[in-house]
Amino acid sequence: MQLDAHIPAGPLAEKWDRHRFELKLVSPANKRKFTILVVGTGLAGGSAAASLAELGYNVKNFCIQDSPRRAHSIAAQGGINAAKNYPNDGDSIWRLFYDTIKGGDFRAREANVYRLAQVSNNIIDQCVAQGVPFAREYGGLLANRSFGGAQVSRTFYARGQTGQQLLLGAYGALSRQIAAGRVEMFTRREMLDLIVVDGQARGILVRNLITGEMERYAGDAVVLASGGYGNVFFLSTNAMNSNVTAAYRAYKRGALFANPCFTQIHPTCIPVHGTYQSKLTLMSESLRNDGRVWVPKKPGDKRPPNEIPESERDYFLERKYPSFGNLVPRDVASRATKEQCDMGKGVGETGRAVYLDFADAIRRDGRDVIEKKYGNLFEMYEKITAENPYETPMRIYPAIHYTMGGLWVDYNLMSTIAGLFVLGEANFSDHGANRLGASALMQGLADGYFIIPYTIGGYLADSSRQAVSTDHPAFAEAEKRVGEQVDKLLKIDGHRSVDDFHRHLGLIMWDYCGMSRNDEGLQKARGMVRELRAEFWENVRVPGRGEEFNQSLERAGRVADFLEFAELMIVDALTRRESCGGHFNEAFQTEEHEALRDDEHFAHVAAWEYTGDQSEPQRHIEPLVFENVHLAQRSYK
Amino acid sequence: MTRTIDLTLKVWRQKTADARGGFETLHATNISTDMSFLEMLDVVNDQLTLDGKEPIAFDSDCREGICGQCGAVVNGHPHGHQKGTTLCQLHMRHFNNGDTIVIEPFRARAFKLVRDLVIDRGALDGIIQAGGYISVNAGGAPDANTIPVSQEKADLAMDAAACIGCGACVAACPNASAMLFVSAKVSHLALLPQGKPEAARRALAMVRRMDELCFGNCSNERECEAECPKEISIVNIARLNREFIKAGFFSAVR
Amino acid sequence: MNWLTNTLGTSIGKKLMMAVTGLSFIGFLTLHLAGNLSIYGGPEAFNAYAEKLHSLGPVLVAAEWILLALALVHIATGLLLFVQNLSARPQRYRVNKSGGGRTIGSATMPYTGLLILLFVIFHLANFSFVDKSHTTIFDVVSRAFADPVYVAIYIAAMVVVALHVSHGFWSLFQTLGLNHPKYMPAITVVGTILSLVFGIGFGFLPIYFSFFA
Repeated sequence: MQLDAHIPAGPLAEKWDRHRFELKLVSPANKRKFTILVVGTGLAGGSAAASLAELGYNVKNFCIQDSPRRAHSIAAQGGINAAKNYPNDGDSIWRLFYDTIKGGDFRAREANVYRLAQVSNNIIDQCVAQGVPFAREYGGLLANRSFGGAQVSRTFYARGQTGQQLLLGAYGALSRQIAAGRVEMFTRREMLDLIVVDGQARGILVRNLITGEMERYAGDAVVLASGGYGNVFFLSTNAMNSNVTAAYRAYKRGALFANPCFTQIHPTCIPVHGTYQSKLTLMSESLRNDGRVWVPKKPGDKRPPNEIPESERDYFLERKYPSFGNLVPRDVASRATKEQCDMGKGVGETGRAVYLDFADAIRRDGRDVIEKKYGNLFEMYEKITAENPYETPMRIYPAIHYTMGGLWVDYNLMSTIAGLFVLGEANFSDHGANRLGASALMQGLADGYFIIPYTIGGYLADSSRQAVSTDHPAFAEAEKRVGEQVDKLLKIDGHRSVDDFHRHLGLIMWDYCGMSRNDEGLQKARGMVRELRAEFWENVRVPGRGEEFNQSLERAGRVADFLEFAELMIVDALTRRESCGGHFNEAFQTEEHEALRDDEHFAHVAAWEYTGDQSEPQRHIEPLVFENVHLAQRSYK
Repeated sequence: MTRTIDLTLKVWRQKTADARGGFETLHATNISTDMSFLEMLDVVNDQLTLDGKEPIAFDSDCREGICGQCGAVVNGHPHGHQKGTTLCQLHMRHFNNGDTIVIEPFRARAFKLVRDLVIDRGALDGIIQAGGYISVNAGGAPDANTIPVSQEKADLAMDAAACIGCGACVAACPNASAMLFVSAKVSHLALLPQGKPEAARRALAMVRRMDELCFGNCSNERECEAECPKEISIVNIARLNREFIKAGFFSAVR
Repeated sequence: MNWLTNTLGTSIGKKLMMAVTGLSFIGFLTLHLAGNLSIYGGPEAFNAYAEKLHSLGPVLVAAEWILLALALVHIATGLLLFVQNLSARPQRYRVNKSGGGRTIGSATMPYTGLLILLFVIFHLANFSFVDKSHTTIFDVVSRAFADPVYVAIYIAAMVVVALHVSHGFWSLFQTLGLNHPKYMPAITVVGTILSLVFGIGFGFLPIYFSFFA
């Protein structure tokens, strides 16, 4: 299969303008004749549904939560980037573009990233107009702060709840369209299959989570904004309901899955502290603006942090990366942390943690200032750990946070299935092998507010479709298939709970396909995942019935997909013979233990095609062409 | 320090909205005090599953206190007794060995029960749909710094906007009123210059929708403020009242 | 007039009516208490006050009718709110604890309100709608207060009034939107003082009659 990204010709800075002109338009009167199915109500899905409805399309919007306001975008804390250059510190669209490409370890598409940097400014304008209460300076203008991977302050924030405020902005816009009758909202629905007719995405099959009924929805295009797959690790900072099912089932219907092994480990999470734990909690990256990361110089030093004198502390990020210091990108900080813990310098009961210390910042700025900036984060930390971070340094450790991989999309955000558009974290497009902080919010909103409204019109105007109703045999086939899976899950009646399997899968993935990988471990993990999958289908116990509200059944379906998807991740990790960004294969590292890329052979996107349950997925590549940036060894020294 | 405790749970069980419900007594043993309340329920559910019984249905998503999906009334307090904390952030170290914990769903006529502790809070979405937004389409916004907003106003707006829409205010209110929820959104938008053009229409429409959806009336008992996991102040309710009076008596909006 | 019913018919509208009528009763209670203080001046002073009041003629009648109208609004709206609030939670909680917002005054508003209504009827029947052609108001009052049952009812009623005012006063400011971080503390203090003044001011009268007059 030849992957064509449909990148417009011309100079980088003119591509998007030119493309917008070249895209065909749907006239205002004709828009209402098209029905668009949007799956997900996070920053990408919510903003897409609202914007498409504003243009006049008929939109049907689906989410698994009880309200569109709860999508996991809400948990993003730190902020959103934009190239406004309000602080006058040398930022520009070009610099944001370059930082993002470099931060992604040169594994993202130039044209997509440049467009992202271009529309970033419109996002801030849009959000302010919607009433997002961004932080302000005394004079009333917008405040900015710095964030990992950048030497300029370009991050806009609303306390430690930026994701929440942006999402509520999109939710407001969506609510307005629901009230206007342009969006029909379906909550507590889970997409379980994609309906493809004549090679075009024409509908979805969803399960009504309250009644358990299967419901069919037909449309002219499907927009998938169902988030990332971080929960394949069970313990992650993702929400409990975040899952890969919608994306994975689209993959099984023919959409290619790109770079599944690119997973982001966030350096500042509250460490794991028990086997019963259900999820991990992130402490915003913004904390690294004022917090200093350190470990005792001596391995096995068990003294309480306050008793370790300054001379016996190793501020290892500041030492190793003097110019970026504590603000190095996430993958770099995470690996450095792991390295210290592997050397036995880790702190806390488990030895898998390092200190994030605010003592200097509190001395310098006063407790009030620190409290104003991070008060809610400190409170959250104290609730979980029962320790007061104003007095004792926080203990942090990396955790799975975001997935750069996702369904492959072209410049129009359309997957390899015509009419299936994929937005936000669910696609692979903008972050390469590592995402910079405060860029996920930017991408989700860019996709939803400012890109899909143009590109979906181009598709609808430029293609023809036969009429497809929910009586089409493709719906019946999908419903039968999904129904059979549900029945099968309910009949097994084994001896292990769904969560037990999920937890087990997570451990395998974290140990062998997590922060640091090697061929032997990956091979071993592949075998273990296969065994676990086989056991799952013989020994899982899913209580209750299919025709009722049944949370165990919901989770079982998701875990079944994770058990298959995990293998795809491992295969992708095995075949990428280099280290880059979030993918670190121990066989490929510099003398200083930094990721060693192989630009000659792996400057490409690996996109996987499903070929059947019993056969190997097929690897396709999209070469990445860098015409505007120089491929360099990433250095944050 | 980590301890383990044993607890007796009295949990509301109800299969569907129309079925008869009742309390079931369950035992939670060997519960680590480092667990969150929901992790304790996870452990109980795992055991129920293996015992061939149906696990307790309860909602949760982010488990870091921001999505607003979780919530139950624990020993008479929505989200439990700890101030400013959602149920997912309530930790078992705040309970003692041998405690009996009564767990009930949020109850209000406007919140239909789905199953056990799971409820339908669509009514809150309905109130927002009546006007809890600023009507701007994507694309036409002026530069973000065109209108300065004083830091004090932005802070007050943020205080109100911190509402997570969990419905604890309704659950806590002796009258099942949604005034704190409505006031938080009206305040957030009325405080900002961008929200002013629609302020009158918004206040009237949202309050009317709240009434239509059968929430109770505010009688200023302050239970909402006391139980709100985000500690949203009833000063916002006064502001809503003010906005409503302005809209009802002094604006041209009918 | 559609806009007016649309505005006053909402939950906030109803609360506004409660607040405005409630405020007028606070005004009435203040005047009533001020007048009653003349009791301490002895029979002559009190009877002179009553006479002066009645000499107002139509003004007094108008005031009485207005008070009656306000009372009807307050009672009818209060009852409606009470019924609506009860039906807003058809299934009650098994365990219901206060998070610290509620006070005895706030939690008992509908009940103290009904008790006050009963007392007002009783009070009017005893003091207003009695034949005063052969006696003075002071004698009527002192005869009534000679009965310990009456004294007990009267004192209890004043405790109830105090409770009702303790929540009602600050609450009406809140409903009128007059909650400001700088002034609200003062308003709540004034509310507490007022409830004590009403409770003690009216409540001490029967004690005065029983022991000192």
